[in-house]
Amino acid sequence: MDTSSQLRSGTVISASSLIGPATILVALGVIVPLLFLLRYSFNEYDPRLLMVEAFTPANYVDFFTDPYFLGAFFTTVRISVVCTLACILLGFPLAYVLARTQSRFKNLMIIAVVIPLFVGNAVRAAGWMTLLGSQGFLSVTLMDLGITSTMTEIMFSETAVVIGIIAVNLPYMVLTLQSVLESVNRNLEEAAFSLGAPPLTMFRRVLWPLSMPGIAAGTILTFILAMNAYATPVLLGGPEFRMLAPLVYGQFQMNNWPLAAAIAFVLMATTLLLTVVASLVTRQGFRN
Amino acid sequence: MARLQLDTLSKRYGDFYAAQDVSLDIADGEFLTLLGPSGCGKTTTLRMVAGFVEPTSGMIHIGEREVTELPPWRRNTGLVFQNYALFPHMSVAQNVGFGLEMRGVAKAQREPKILEALRLVRLEHLADRLPRQLSGGQQQRVALARALAFQPDVLLLDEPLSNLDAKLRQEVRLEIRNLQQRLGITTVMVTHDQEEALTMADRLVVMAEGRIQQVGTQRDLYERPATPFVAGFVGRSTFLRGRMKADVLVLESGLSVRCGRRLVGDAVLALRPERVTLTAEPPAGFDNVFIGEVEIVSYMGGLTDVHVRISPSDRIIAQIANGEGVRLPEVGNRVHVAWSSNAAIFAVPREKQPEAVH
Ligand SMILES: Nc1ncnc2c1ncn2[C@@H]1O[C@H](COP(=O)(O)OP(=O)(O)OP(=O)(O)O)[C@@H](O)[C@H]1O
Ligand SMILES: [Mg+2]
Repeated sequence: MDTSSQLRSGTVISASSLIGPATILVALGVIVPLLFLLRYSFNEYDPRLLMVEAFTPANYVDFFTDPYFLGAFFTTVRISVVCTLACILLGFPLAYVLARTQSRFKNLMIIAVVIPLFVGNAVRAAGWMTLLGSQGFLSVTLMDLGITSTMTEIMFSETAVVIGIIAVNLPYMVLTLQSVLESVNRNLEEAAFSLGAPPLTMFRRVLWPLSMPGIAAGTILTFILAMNAYATPVLLGGPEFRMLAPLVYGQFQMNNWPLAAAIAFVLMATTLLLTVVASLVTRQGFRN
Repeated sequence: MARLQLDTLSKRYGDFYAAQDVSLDIADGEFLTLLGPSGCGKTTTLRMVAGFVEPTSGMIHIGEREVTELPPWRRNTGLVFQNYALFPHMSVAQNVGFGLEMRGVAKAQREPKILEALRLVRLEHLADRLPRQLSGGQQQRVALARALAFQPDVLLLDEPLSNLDAKLRQEVRLEIRNLQQRLGITTVMVTHDQEEALTMADRLVVMAEGRIQQVGTQRDLYERPATPFVAGFVGRSTFLRGRMKADVLVLESGLSVRCGRRLVGDAVLALRPERVTLTAEPPAGFDNVFIGEVEIVSYMGGLTDVHVRISPSDRIIAQIANGEGVRLPEVGNRVHVAWSSNAAIFAVPREKQPEAVH
């Protein structure tokens, strides 16, 4: 009895010593600043005095009444939803091939998927410019082929940002889905076929529901990344383009800490809310 | 339920034949077992019937239908996988009803059929469970019920018992056989377990290196094996190799064995252990008697195996039925080994034939 309780308290101690440092780091590095920020968001801003101690919802009210901010808000949500859906649609077939391939080059294929992440944001943006800019490869090729007569400018538009975010987020979706699909035994697909299910039915009834955990995880991951994208909208969207993360930073730069904090919290709350909704929806899908 | 015909079915991977010229005619309601060592092409053959492996050449008929080109979902075959492959996100009832659902059977009509299929495997009380809440044996039976519920033309089983423990395997073996006979469903089972094959099937097919070695009943294969491979694979045999001189096989060691048959050239003789007699004194009435030294005695309950060396290069295995008053020889004893020439199974080796197993 004594030895077992000793053992147990020993386990507790070693477990807490294992997770302790990380917990402290998270508490100090994330939660404390967040609490400060939350407090700031209820302060007032004065162009001369900067932040003035107060307790007012004015910043939030400003945000949700100003078309400028609201526009950025809806752009961010819209782009995140579009990018996430695109990642599912593009990522699933890719992940399926990766999960099922018998090829010797499987590892190379996986590296090829991850390669976009090896490249820094600025370098990647420069790459997109050479491809999508008005003097870029796409525009010139389209003109050379006689498909268009004027220059095609995709750079500095919502399209460019969507393409850019998809390119960054797709690897996360593919890798998440791939690991889940690998755990779905190929025999399950064959069983469905032998029971009379044509491929699409098999997909709908077996593969899709069984890959739901991966879809959910991948969706949450890519959605959060898209909502909080900073570099891509700044570099590919141009000066006129607005998403929330750059906006937060912009307000900080203008020393309007209270408003920046309020926008940051709107962004965080929206991300959380939509993530919860997405995971509820996918869990619902899994049940059926 | 239907007759199943395979006509010179082959599957080639590169220049390697996983199955070659497999021809089988399986009668309506027959239980056929594909038996053979690992890698001999059993699964490949079965999967060609199910539609998962596209034959390089040959034809498959189920009943009157030619199905060679049909995708698996249009073949109407019930397939049981070695790992059961139950859909983990569906209840037992949903699993069993899946085939019916795919055939457009309305929910109300599905229910009684699902229950009926579950009753066949005595699992109707578990209809609402999820597969992970079942034991291995129960999962196996659900897989069987799922494969039977939509009344397939043929039932295909790929090593259905290999994930069960020995005792359960015996039970399920009988259960599957009973069920198959009751339903009268044409069945092809793959196994590399001889005993399983012997106890379950109407007819057996022995395969080696992608080719059919012999098709026949248990008795055919055991008593009249067509090749040394079959003689070694079905039951056990002692093999004696040599050259024929009239009706005598001269072994490499110089010993002469009477065969009761005239043949020419190189030959292999297979002796069943239970057909060999061991005596202390010279026995009468046998045309082959050799003196040898006992090397191994292994007691196995009802039977005892005795290995006797009759020459530096020849060893004979004899089997003794244990019983009251039966005296077992001991290692080192000198004994007489005897058999009559008509007890030997005889086989002439052909070129490029799979090595016989010992
Ligand atoms: N997709 C494939 N590509 C190349 N060779 C294959 C392929 N599938 C099977 N083979 C080969 O074909 C041969 C027969 O395989 P098969 O699975 O039919 O054997 P089996 O008799 O079922 O063996 P086991 O008892 O081990 O299951 C094996 O040598 C195997 O390596
Ligand atoms: Mg096999």
